[in-house]
Amino acid sequence: MRKILRMEYLFSRRQILIVLAIFTAYFAYMAYRIDSPRVFVIMTSIMLGLSMPFISLGREDKFKTAGLVCSLPVRRSTVVLGKYVASWTATVFGLGYALLFTAVFPLSKFSASEILSARTLLVSLFLISLIFSVILPFTLRFGLTGVIILLVGLQLLGVVAFALAQFAGRARNPMRIVVRAIEGGLRVLLHHKLTPGFLLALLAAFVALNAVSILVGRALYLRREL
Amino acid sequence: MEYALGITNLRKEYPGFTLRDVSFALPAGHIMGLIGPNGAGKTTVVKLILNIVQRTAGRIEVFGLDSLAAEAAVKSRTGFVLDEMPFYGYLNIDAIASILAPYYKTWNRGRFEELCREFELPRRKRVNALSRGMKMKLALAVALSHGAELILMDEPTSGLDPVFRRELLERLSGLIQDGRTSVLFSTHLTSDLERVADYITCLRDGELVFSTTRDEILENWALVKGGPDLLDPATRGLFRGVRQSPYGVTALTSDKEEAWRRLAGKDAVIERLRLDDLVFFLAQEESPRLEAWHE
Repeated sequence: MRKILRMEYLFSRRQILIVLAIFTAYFAYMAYRIDSPRVFVIMTSIMLGLSMPFISLGREDKFKTAGLVCSLPVRRSTVVLGKYVASWTATVFGLGYALLFTAVFPLSKFSASEILSARTLLVSLFLISLIFSVILPFTLRFGLTGVIILLVGLQLLGVVAFALAQFAGRARNPMRIVVRAIEGGLRVLLHHKLTPGFLLALLAAFVALNAVSILVGRALYLRREL
Repeated sequence: MEYALGITNLRKEYPGFTLRDVSFALPAGHIMGLIGPNGAGKTTVVKLILNIVQRTAGRIEVFGLDSLAAEAAVKSRTGFVLDEMPFYGYLNIDAIASILAPYYKTWNRGRFEELCREFELPRRKRVNALSRGMKMKLALAVALSHGAELILMDEPTSGLDPVFRRELLERLSGLIQDGRTSVLFSTHLTSDLERVADYITCLRDGELVFSTTRDEILENWALVKGGPDLLDPATRGLFRGVRQSPYGVTALTSDKEEAWRRLAGKDAVIERLRLDDLVFFLAQEESPRLEAWHE
């Protein structure tokens, strides 16, 4: 797997730095405008979780290099594991940069202790895991085009769901259940007391999500025709 | 006999194309040419050996090892030159080598540098800026730098100038002299194979037509030329592909001796076969034109 990581590093390092340089403007703007450090953490995690895997996987699509990687003496399951670790490394690097930048940015509305807390990090990792668990297996199997179709499809589904919700009326609105579930989940993540049990549960959920995602990603990647 | 590659009942189903139960074997220390018209399944076979497409059924053994169960071990001893080499375009040749080298325990950096010099590959140049022929040379340099014992080549000579093509073929001939390196060479430039191939495997519409030695083909197969009266019920069973023109008939036979006997007395000429004639006439076999004539 070290070889895959090295390959990903050599292949994507410049692009990751370019993207983070562009994102710096966004981080500065958000830190200056937003009052809540939690909202900042959630937004940043979603942004990095969505963008970082695409840098390497998208470039693999562009140069069609998956055929080369899969012709090398390495098992496809190792390739998948390597891509997960590479995506996590890039995202954690990006997140670390974002949090550090915001903590030292003079116009930031948050203090360093608000940003660099155990809760902040755990919430970030959990959200990124959620995004990766959907995006990565799909990207590995269908490439960047497939993910764009997935995201557009999800948006259309959202539009249809909201239209149906409007039609059904407020009382029987099925979207409220979904929105409330997300809201409830985020509230628990952001406000629950940091007991050892809660931390352990969060860690277990984090590991389980990633393990399932890797297994699904591996199964899908084995079927990929190059 | 020791085999570098053994393929048994290999099957791959795509929408609109099926590679049907192909079986052949490549003895170690030999060059095999994989020929056939476009769409015959040559590239599919190479990709199946590399496991970059998934087989529907069948078995592939490389050096006696199952290519799926021992994938990493098999690939570490296999080199490949694909029709479209998917290198990282914006990296230069040295960077490509530094990425690929760790995958092969037997990677020889000195050898790679020597090959780059020999092939006139500019090591500081980005792969994107290389011509198709240069990319082929790079792929070949990579394959030769880790001492691959089986080299899979999919249309390797199609982008090369005649001088380098000739050099490449000579190099391939030299490679197999150690008795352990083998080459599977898919190409539509069949003249290349006439120079170097020991075995020829022919595919058509996803089916194996034959897999045999080049000498056997050249001994037994031939082109028959004659007037329009060459085709009659007594002779048509001899031919595996026919081309008719207002001036006469040219046909392919897989049994030269039998053709001599049956065509004795007819105004027919039996000529030595070239492999491109073989591909051409096999593509004609059972074509609508011939079926119409049969009726």
